[in-house]
Amino acid sequence: MNGVTAVLHKELTNYFQSPIAYFIVAVFLLGTGYFFIDHVFLRGSASMDTTLQSMGILLIIVVPAISMRLFSSEYSGRTIELLMTLPLRKWEIVLGKYLGAFIIFLIMTLTTCINLIPLVLYGNPDILNIISGYVGFILLGMACIAIGQLFSSLTENQIIAALMTWPVLLGFWFVGKFKSFQQTAWLRSLSDYLSFSGHYGDFLRGLIRSEGVIFFLAVTTIALILNTAYIRGRR
Amino acid sequence: MSNQPTLISVDSVTKRYGSKEIIHNISFDVKKGEIVGFLGPNGAGKTTTMRMISGFTAPTTGRVFVAGHDMSHDNYEGAKKIGYLPEHPPLYEVLKVRRYLQFISKVKRIKRSRVNSELDRVITACRLEAVTEKEIYKLSKGYRQRVGLAQALLGDPDVLLLDEPTAGLDPGQIQETREVIRTFGQDHAVLLSTHILPEVTLICQRIAIINEGRILAVDSPEALQSASDKTNNVSIELSGDHYKLEEAIRATDGVKGVKFAPDKNKEMYFQVDCHVESRDGIESELARVITTHGALHSLSRQKPTLENVFLKYISDGTQPKEIIQ
Repeated sequence: MNGVTAVLHKELTNYFQSPIAYFIVAVFLLGTGYFFIDHVFLRGSASMDTTLQSMGILLIIVVPAISMRLFSSEYSGRTIELLMTLPLRKWEIVLGKYLGAFIIFLIMTLTTCINLIPLVLYGNPDILNIISGYVGFILLGMACIAIGQLFSSLTENQIIAALMTWPVLLGFWFVGKFKSFQQTAWLRSLSDYLSFSGHYGDFLRGLIRSEGVIFFLAVTTIALILNTAYIRGRR
Repeated sequence: MSNQPTLISVDSVTKRYGSKEIIHNISFDVKKGEIVGFLGPNGAGKTTTMRMISGFTAPTTGRVFVAGHDMSHDNYEGAKKIGYLPEHPPLYEVLKVRRYLQFISKVKRIKRSRVNSELDRVITACRLEAVTEKEIYKLSKGYRQRVGLAQALLGDPDVLLLDEPTAGLDPGQIQETREVIRTFGQDHAVLLSTHILPEVTLICQRIAIINEGRILAVDSPEALQSASDKTNNVSIELSGDHYKLEEAIRATDGVKGVKFAPDKNKEMYFQVDCHVESRDGIESELARVITTHGALHSLSRQKPTLENVFLKYISDGTQPKEIIQ
């Protein structure tokens, strides 16, 4: 695990030494702030579920901006030659990088909790529902970052990495909508099962279902395993 | 040297990218206490070979061992024994020099109690004292190269792989860097790639000449020079009748070419450059012929320079694009 913490530490320093992390957090905060004001103050709803629903879509747009540089910048900066020849196991590189991006995402998520203050002060929100929503949001973020990191490992061009990640994440988000067009039962249940918005919707309704938790963790694990296999195969 | 353990062993290695074969069945060893120069023109396959030894890429066929660890399959254990400076120093631009070296120390599992002294050691050896708190993107090319060298030296690895370590340095820095490598090479194994000829003669005990993915020769600079005396020239100072002497020398068996240059200060005196075959005894034959037709003042057989040797070895294929004297 020593290798993981070394890579993680390097990643975090790298994020905070450049303006990227601050910029992404700022954009995300602005977006969530807008949704919060719109849903809570303008529509008078003392709950976070509609804000969290919008935050999910915003997350899918923002995640590629966090993940696109994870491997692409190592390729273009030729530092991949260093990482691959230091005494680091390939999974340590993948996990260290992933945790670095995940911590940035967690910081981003924590900053949105500022919205809860007026909600608790002036309303009577369902706290358990909010907790369940945030658990879903974090699980959704975990899966999205892992997919973004996988695509980042496929190209040295950060923009191409982001352009590959967006359609895939949007595909996972909207795949549930295709359910009504499917004739065969297994295709219907497959599009339902693969739907990010479907599983996330359960969390927003206050349901922490093992199916949803396992789904997001499985997507994360599969993406990280493919990522490790790919960089090992590059040799 | 022969009883020292082999730390780098390249055994019948071939590298193919698609259908293109970049490295063709190469083999060589580097022992502890040895500095071996990997010499070849640009595009000869030096970097690809370095990358295979470092474990960055795997050979298509054949095997690479570093300190007994097979690098062809999994380079994790072998990587603990290697300090590697790639062709382009792999630096994280936004990190400060000290922070970057701390990251490398952590990955190399240098004990916490030793980290600071180890950092100070490489910072001093690579003359980085003035820039330790500077971000890497602010550094000049020479400093960047030295930060790359410092990361390779961290942890005192058994094997040092240096791909063109003096590229981008000024003459003073080149000398300092060579001194660092020479000192390090005394009890480690160093493989150093370069296309700068004086570099190998100055610091390497052995040279591996590579061209178009093939190792053409591996030996000490002296052995390569003496084995390559086919290009020998004989320098002669003589006096007498120009035409008679030139005719006689040209007629001597084994002489391939003669060039007479008159001595400006003395009449009938000449400087003669004679291109001869490699076999022994030509000097005495020339001396006999010259003394028959005139007076011989000096005669010496010149050894080929390393540049001649290098050119001879690679002239069967492509001529080198760039050789820096």
